[in-house]
Amino acid sequence: MKSILKLFGVLMILVSAALPVVIPEAYLYLIGLTYLFAIVVISWDLMVGYTGQVNLGHTTFVGLGAYIAALLQTPMRIGIAIHPLAAIILGGLAAALVGFFIGIITLRLRGYYFSLVTAILPLVFMQTVFIWRDVFGGEEGFSIAGYSLLDTTLSKYYFSLALLLVSLAAMRRIVKSRIGLRFMAVRDSEELAESIGIDTTKYKVLAFVLSSFFAGIAGAAIVNYRYTVGPELYDIPLMLLVILSAVLGGLGTIYGPLIGAIVIYLAKNWWLRDLIDIASLPINDEIVLYAILIAIGILMPRGFFHELRERIEEKA
Amino acid sequence: MIDVLLKIIVFGTVVGGIWGLVASGFSLIFGVSRILNFAHGAAFVCAAYVAFLLSGSGFNVYLSILAGLAVSGLLGLLVYLLTRPVRKNEVMVIIITLALALLIQQILLVNFGDKGISMLPLVQGVVELNNVKVTNMRIASFVLAVTSLVSLDLMVSKTSIGKKIIATSQDSEAAMLIGIDVEKVFILVMVLSSILAGFAGILYAQIFAISPETSLKALIYAFAIVILGGLGSLRGSIVSSFIVGYILVLTITFLGARWSEFVMLLAIVTILVVRPTGLFGVEE
Amino acid sequence: MRYAKAVLTALILLAAITSLCVQGGQKTEREKVVIGVIGPMSLPEGMAEEKAVKLAAEEINAQGGILGHPVEVVVGDTKLDSNTASTEFRRLATIENADVIIGGFSSGVMLTMMETMAETKTLFLADASSPAHAKKVAENYERYKYWFRVTQNNGSTFALDLADMVRFLRDSGYDVKKVYIIRDEHVWTDPVVEALTPLLEEQGVEIVKDVRVPRGYSEYEQLIHEAESLDADLIMPILAIAGTGDILTKQWATLKPNILLAGHDLAAIDAEFYNKTNGMANYEIFLADGGALITAPPTEKCKEFVDAYKKKYGHYPESHQAYGAYDAVYLYKTVVEMAAKAGEKDPFDPDVLVKYLEKFDASNPIELTRPIAFYKNHDLMWGDNYVRNWISQWQDGKQYIIYPESVANGELKLPPWIE
Repeated sequence: MKSILKLFGVLMILVSAALPVVIPEAYLYLIGLTYLFAIVVISWDLMVGYTGQVNLGHTTFVGLGAYIAALLQTPMRIGIAIHPLAAIILGGLAAALVGFFIGIITLRLRGYYFSLVTAILPLVFMQTVFIWRDVFGGEEGFSIAGYSLLDTTLSKYYFSLALLLVSLAAMRRIVKSRIGLRFMAVRDSEELAESIGIDTTKYKVLAFVLSSFFAGIAGAAIVNYRYTVGPELYDIPLMLLVILSAVLGGLGTIYGPLIGAIVIYLAKNWWLRDLIDIASLPINDEIVLYAILIAIGILMPRGFFHELRERIEEKA
Repeated sequence: MIDVLLKIIVFGTVVGGIWGLVASGFSLIFGVSRILNFAHGAAFVCAAYVAFLLSGSGFNVYLSILAGLAVSGLLGLLVYLLTRPVRKNEVMVIIITLALALLIQQILLVNFGDKGISMLPLVQGVVELNNVKVTNMRIASFVLAVTSLVSLDLMVSKTSIGKKIIATSQDSEAAMLIGIDVEKVFILVMVLSSILAGFAGILYAQIFAISPETSLKALIYAFAIVILGGLGSLRGSIVSSFIVGYILVLTITFLGARWSEFVMLLAIVTILVVRPTGLFGVEE
Repeated sequence: MRYAKAVLTALILLAAITSLCVQGGQKTEREKVVIGVIGPMSLPEGMAEEKAVKLAAEEINAQGGILGHPVEVVVGDTKLDSNTASTEFRRLATIENADVIIGGFSSGVMLTMMETMAETKTLFLADASSPAHAKKVAENYERYKYWFRVTQNNGSTFALDLADMVRFLRDSGYDVKKVYIIRDEHVWTDPVVEALTPLLEEQGVEIVKDVRVPRGYSEYEQLIHEAESLDADLIMPILAIAGTGDILTKQWATLKPNILLAGHDLAAIDAEFYNKTNGMANYEIFLADGGALITAPPTEKCKEFVDAYKKKYGHYPESHQAYGAYDAVYLYKTVVEMAAKAGEKDPFDPDVLVKYLEKFDASNPIELTRPIAFYKNHDLMWGDNYVRNWISQWQDGKQYIIYPESVANGELKLPPWIE
């Protein structure tokens, strides 16, 4: 059984690698962007799905990674131009560092403080973009054209595919390890986890740092992918899209959010709008997405992935 | 100097009073049912839109306002119904109420556009207090907001309904055992709090203007205030709403308007670092 | 259980692949001219662009198309998001094979789309108000030369409009000496104030304070008090992004200070502004873009367009973007025909068309719904005889243009509380 599965995984990777042969460039561009979005979603799941702490400001780290990388690799901004790869990694590290400080402050407390604080965080960072606009470019953002790691759509596509696979493998390893088991112990019952000697704060912070790191990397990669950075990478609509994808796929499963991310991102950027146009209702695609989110939250709070898995297991 | 001080007190108090109405309800809902109601800002905005639309199409202003309040009460009921099946799952509660808030925001956006609406002040005119011109509507709003907050506080601390609310918020299971219908308390608190938010929205629309995006602003202020006051503490929220009002006005006066949002958000983060349970909060 | 995961993944990917394979195609013999229109399609700016382009295409097709080819319109939705915008632009350019793309809106999104434009070498007749875009054309002409601004003036020409506004007020007998500026905390207002300051100095007018406000700002009463205490005689909003110009208007009308409210407030341009503020917009002076064109069309073509739009869609253009988008289609048709007449091998080649578009300069504007000409950096030319923002005022529920005289249909009225 396990070997069949492995074979299947390899097959999937091969199919994704072969996509450029059959798919026109414009769609390839979108799919590559979807892979980067998937990294953001999976990294959110790493925190929320595995430790049960609801992070409502994950885009803080996407934006941080994006801005740090963009600033470091474009000489016109602060006079520094390091190699884009180094900039991407530093973007991730900066996000992780901020995550660490916020984590040690907010995760000491149980309950809802973490959610409230993280809900406000992206707004604080968005304000910095407007106030120090000589550096961050204000509402417009700025362009890194000419200093990006990637130049052709094909190279962009393979870069994001590779980044997704590496991140996925890394995060999977983490959750399957002993650390991952402790994350889940914290999620299931903090009291119980503490009683068996787990330092819950430490593991919550660790999960948060790791999750922020991958979000930062993804943000930095998005900038190299589309050549511009802007405050919308911090903004709430992106956050909601992340939540929707992860919840749809099923929290705490890594693969569920991956699938959720791909389905939702493609839907939102592709066919959902046409569907609404055909129905000609006074709504937009966001209304549909939020309604789906509410419905899933109530009817299948554990996500599509769990639900399907159980059905199949019952039959087997 | 006296001018400046007077200005700060007058403007800060009015802003604080309005946000206090929003935050106290938010805090009460959390205290009783442990639900972080992200759709609270939607009640604020919806009441104003309903009142604006009805009074604009010729209905009596006061009836329109009542209708607006009723709609915000219904919204509270809706939140209760939607969260009921998943109340134990805190992740889902947050996600559902947040999605509801954004859903309502988008519906308003699609149907009425992104530009704001504003109601004609119920009381016209301006008074001059020591060289500072203050609109009568601001004074009226202040009086109304404070009256509502005081009555809310009295209701919770003095009446038998209030005792049930307190009992439920301390331990809902124990409250159930001594014969309190906890679900009824939940409904009451949700509806009442949403009406308070709606009332704040109507006052806000008299002095300022409301656009779909204001719902998010109201929610953020509510957050800031309850974090400052301590989650679940009603009096904490009331006191800290005025503190937030003064911080806001002080920033505008001394640092400049551009810093107003930033300083407030930063102040909240700082308070969390120094005293994470807020001014009046208790650690859970 | 693991089996389920794999099957699910496979199904989704397979579905994606098969649906993708159906679409797409290669360029063959020209059968039609494809015009792409891109914008935020759930906002009035985008909707107006789409409707205007479709209207123009219909008219052109009724007259035999462009060089005999029928015009087809394809639509892209930016959702006001940079990621989506770059994807959609790419789709229009490479999958739909758009010959020209019209639209845009909002500076940040535009910046991202310009990169996609440069990569796909697509002619882009664009809308957004930041001077940063034209600057890119000047700095790296070869890369960005496909970009032309057709829809409205550059952010820095607002300064010229505003300086004219002050001059006009002084000439009309309202003495302006001190101006109190309230503006967006946003890059677009920086060049405006930078250019405006010396222009006001020339007139002997002082800027007593320059206040920046964040998005969603509401405490204007305090600023009005401050303006009063600084003896300002004009409060000049330069507001678009803040989104709360209506609150400023309302609080000004409530407090009734002895100060005129005149500047550029995006909210005031909205035709519904008077109703939404319950009439408190009365006497506000503002810069009108397309909105006021309905009552005072500057050209014959503009009048026809407004009427045709109303006839087809049942209402007037919902935003000024409609005029630019409509003009862009005719502009494109004109340059293609010019290129064909001059015997160009491929009159649809964007590199060729850039040269012909550049022929419309200061000495040679093309008269569409507005007289259009370009600067060297492909920015839209400003002036009474080209495109400018008209100085307008809300009077009893109606927008009147009060300056320049050539298009004015009303006169300045001071609020009764001004002494």
